[in-house]
Amino acid sequence: MKPDIVRFSNEMRQFGLAVVSAIAVLLAGGLLGAKTEEAYRQRSVEQAKVQADILAAGVAGALAFDDQKTVGENVAAIRRNPQIAAVGVYDVTGVLKARSAASGATGPPDRAPPSSARFHRNGVVVASPVIQQGVRLGEVYLRTAPETLSDTLRRHGGLALLVIMAVMALALLARNTAELQRRSAALEDANLRLLREMDEKARAEEALRQSQKMEALGQLTGGVAHDFNNLLTVIMGGLETIGRAAPPQVGDPTSARLHRARDMALQAAQRAATLTSRLLAFARRQPLEPRAIDVNRMVSGLAELMRSTLGEAVQVETVLGAGTWLTLADIGQLESALLNLAVNARDAMPDGGHLTIETANAALDDAYVAAQSEPVAAGQYVMLAVTDTGVGMDKQTLEHAVEPFFTTKEVGKGTGLGLSQVYGFVRQSAGHIRIYSELGEGTTVRLYLPRYRAAEVAPEERTDEALPGLLVGDETVLLVEDHDDLRAHSAGLLRELGYRVIETADGPAALAALEDNPDIALLFTDVVLPGGMNGRQVADQARARQPGLKVLFTTGYTRNAIVHNGALDPGVQLISKPYSFSELAAKVRRVLDQ
Amino acid sequence: MAFRRVPSWRRRTAGLALAVLALCAPVFSAGAAPLEWAVKATYLYKFVAFVDWPPGALGAPGEPVALCIVGPDPFGRQIDEAGAGQQIGDHPIEVRRLRQATRGSGCRVLYVRGGSNRAALAAVAGEPVLTVTDGGGGGVVRFLLTRDGKVRFSIDQAAAAANGLTLSSKLLAVAVRP
Ligand SMILES: Nc1ncnc2c1ncn2[C@@H]1O[C@H](COP(=O)(O)OP(=O)(O)O)[C@@H](O)[C@H]1O
Ligand SMILES: [Mg+2]
Repeated sequence: MKPDIVRFSNEMRQFGLAVVSAIAVLLAGGLLGAKTEEAYRQRSVEQAKVQADILAAGVAGALAFDDQKTVGENVAAIRRNPQIAAVGVYDVTGVLKARSAASGATGPPDRAPPSSARFHRNGVVVASPVIQQGVRLGEVYLRTAPETLSDTLRRHGGLALLVIMAVMALALLARNTAELQRRSAALEDANLRLLREMDEKARAEEALRQSQKMEALGQLTGGVAHDFNNLLTVIMGGLETIGRAAPPQVGDPTSARLHRARDMALQAAQRAATLTSRLLAFARRQPLEPRAIDVNRMVSGLAELMRSTLGEAVQVETVLGAGTWLTLADIGQLESALLNLAVNARDAMPDGGHLTIETANAALDDAYVAAQSEPVAAGQYVMLAVTDTGVGMDKQTLEHAVEPFFTTKEVGKGTGLGLSQVYGFVRQSAGHIRIYSELGEGTTVRLYLPRYRAAEVAPEERTDEALPGLLVGDETVLLVEDHDDLRAHSAGLLRELGYRVIETADGPAALAALEDNPDIALLFTDVVLPGGMNGRQVADQARARQPGLKVLFTTGYTRNAIVHNGALDPGVQLISKPYSFSELAAKVRRVLDQ
Repeated sequence: MAFRRVPSWRRRTAGLALAVLALCAPVFSAGAAPLEWAVKATYLYKFVAFVDWPPGALGAPGEPVALCIVGPDPFGRQIDEAGAGQQIGDHPIEVRRLRQATRGSGCRVLYVRGGSNRAALAAVAGEPVLTVTDGGGGGVVRFLLTRDGKVRFSIDQAAAAANGLTLSSKLLAVAVRP
């Protein structure tokens, strides 16, 4: 709209300029015409004067010496010029001595007129004295024929034509200029569009590059985390076994020191496990157990926890939206995410400040969705926002904040895995994350989790992991695990719980063992296996042969057959690596008792 | 002719009372063909304007040009009246009446009538003098009377050249071819 107005006013200016120029040309033409007319009149008067002088010279002698005949001859001679309409010669007393006039033209006056030379509309009139060496001898009168219309036209026609042509040329020029301007404006538009498109393309490429980077980082961290999980399972299991095998001897200093060392090692291993779980979360390979969550209830509970842990300086506030929808997510991961955000907020406010957690319903429309570099579906979401009044982030930091291991905190304080977990979890939950930060102002992180529509189902409380007394058994368990140490460790745990364990390293071996041992009650298999079959295939074939068989999967690494989009298939039981003795005891018992 | 000559002669020669002269002259002048003499008188003045005078011939500006009438004066007061207030360029015209023309008299126009021609003309020969004769031979300009009584004149260019004068072609144009 605006460029059109600009273009229009430009054209108006062009038009105005052309009009002004045309007027100037016309004025100049008129002036020039007037000048030539003036010059023409002067010239005409001069010419008539010359004619009068010639006549005067011719009749001077005749007038002086009263030679009527010569006077008449001179008058006739001068009248032979067709441009001279009337001639009169007067003697010194003013008496008309000779006259001649063209037919139809007025003759000379009867008495000598006073000397003059004037341009009249009906011809130049010259009256001049006849003087010989200072002696006045008489008077001559002469009037030229008026100029014919065709002569006038011929005289001014050229100039008029030039002026008309100039005005026309100006009009043409103005039109062409306007046209040219229109075209250049169109070109400019096209150029602008091209630039915009190039810009968009660059942005899209940048987004693609960014998501590819995140993907590659995910692959890498996921792989490392998986291996670590296996190792941590063994370490933690070993430490637990040590604790159980050598119960603390009261009063024995060596035993007490050993148990302290074991406890510290176990704690370190658990911290390591948390880190690997965050890595897996970032890689979106964390096994999730999504449940319907009432975020308002959850946030209220978390806020209490934060008030007690974040310290006096940080004011924790909650702004909970009315009628907030349910969402479907892994509650443990969501809690971790909110805690990670709270920890970041605290770190950003070393001198204290406000931490606000908000919840609300939100709708992401098509336009918003299209503008995002990460894929997200348009639709209804539950929004959780964590806002702090801290130091904020500059552009550079903001750009890299969610990358794993990116931290601006000193070694030992930051791991660079907080936001990575939040990001991976949200993405894995088909949600969306948005970070707004202004250096010196603070930061807001918004999480959008998809609305859960099955409203009639009451949100499940998180099942308590507390051990109800004895979780032991004597059933036969078929253990399939390719990692030798882990297999030995798991088998040791199960035996410790009283189970009979048959160990196999891959699918075919497991199926063979199943043939030989019909009393197997539980198949406990890793999801990822060598030998051409994965855990799910092994389970399917085993169930085909022995329909009542119970199955428990384990994995540190979930992107495979059993886990669709990180969520367990209905009815599938899974225990994530690394698992503790008690977790394994509870899980195996629960699966067997189903 | 006779009675014209008589009063002039009487005016000039007789030592009579001024009153008589004054009374007689106008009577005769006005009487016989007065137009002829009036015309000739004005022509005499006008001739001056149609002559290219040699440098210095007319004297300094303001100096009068002498128009001399040698011998009997046929014009009387008419010539004075015709010349009243007349100027040739910067020069007023002064009428002088001479009995005889002499060399160095300063005359620029010399009018001689009748028989006394020869001596007078000879006297000014070679001087820048426009000689005008009436009724006799010689001189640069000769008055004539046409059949219908009009005053005309003829011109002798050789005589003019002899006196160092060039005559305007305008004058030549209206002169009668001899
Ligand atoms: N609320 C916040 N205010 C300011 N900076 C933040 C905030 N949250 C994250 N950051 C920045 O992002 C970086 C990465 O955060 P995170 O992934 O949680 O790792 P860590 O907290 O271990 O450094 C932080 O080091 C910090 O520079
Ligand atoms: Mg952090």
